[in-house]
Amino acid sequence: MFPHIGGASIKMKLSNLTFDKEVKQDILALYGKAIDKEGFIIEKDNPSQRVLTPKGEEIHISEWGGIVKGSEEFIKDDAFVLIELAKKLA
Amino acid sequence: MKILDKLMNLVDAKFKEVLSKNKIILFDFSRNTKNLFEIKEGGKLSIDMNKATEEQKKLFKEQIIDAEFDDAGNFLTSRANNKTRQIKNNLPTESDEEILNFYKDKLSYDMWKALEIAITIRNSFNKGEDITDLKRDIIHKYPVFGNNLSNLTTQGYFDLDRHFKQLYESMLEDEGFDIVNYRKKVEKIVESLPYIVFITRYKTYDELSGEVKFKLTALKKYGTGILLLHGLGTENVSTALAITDEYKDDESIRIEKEMNLKRTIITVTFRF
Repeated sequence: MFPHIGGASIKMKLSNLTFDKEVKQDILALYGKAIDKEGFIIEKDNPSQRVLTPKGEEIHISEWGGIVKGSEEFIKDDAFVLIELAKKLA
Repeated sequence: MKILDKLMNLVDAKFKEVLSKNKIILFDFSRNTKNLFEIKEGGKLSIDMNKATEEQKKLFKEQIIDAEFDDAGNFLTSRANNKTRQIKNNLPTESDEEILNFYKDKLSYDMWKALEIAITIRNSFNKGEDITDLKRDIIHKYPVFGNNLSNLTTQGYFDLDRHFKQLYESMLEDEGFDIVNYRKKVEKIVESLPYIVFITRYKTYDELSGEVKFKLTALKKYGTGILLLHGLGTENVSTALAITDEYKDDESIRIEKEMNLKRTIITVTFRF
């Protein structure tokens, strides 16, 4: 299956708003997320629940690349995922 | 409303003036040395949330981040953002798409997806861009073949007038052709790249013979004890056989020849 990012019909533009790796945890906190002892992203209110990518993969903080529209999809910083986003950019 | 306009509503008059005097094109949540806002090189405004009040954080989230996310549809790390921009600027062209369409039902899904990234890397490389990060991704995802596939793609081996399509066409002529055999053959070649000499008519006999000798010497010293000669077409098969003959009396090398019935495809394995 192809990685799903944001649904087939959504056209996007690449945002000029970004964040650096050293503030990843601050940004996660804004979305009600945190990281567990092993460094995986979890739901702050339900620490046993790890956040998953649209492909169902757990996300280590070091691999986290940001959020894209579907609803709010957490994605990895990986060329194989980002190419699907790139194809959707206007 | 643009990000800058939204920000103007959240900052004091003094900083509003600073912002209006600078051409800001990027907005990055980061760590600053002194202030909540700092202007960095390249028209980048760095915003340090650690220096914001709880009220300011709430406003940033609602009025800047959420609004921009609604508009653009993505909120990425600066690294992922840069990488996405690089990929977008180097996505497969129309002729690249022809290559991908040709291989779509012939390679494994994983190798085909890797080929798409490898083509993107090639396009970026040809523009003189830094491809380190993209190469790292393909190697990380496919450690067995990612790097070799990327190198072969950059060298044009998957182009439609080149080796892997010619291999397909040659194998297709064989009785009882099975696409699985082609897939396996491609995988073997890609995975064995450092241990392969491609016999091609674009090089002279002496060049090819020298390349085999050079690789044998190096592999005997450092390698895994195997070298493959791979040739397509009657002429290249003859050349491969002639080079192989140079080693027929070498007792340190065991030679295995694999040819199709028409003698148009050859793989010679040197074990030592």
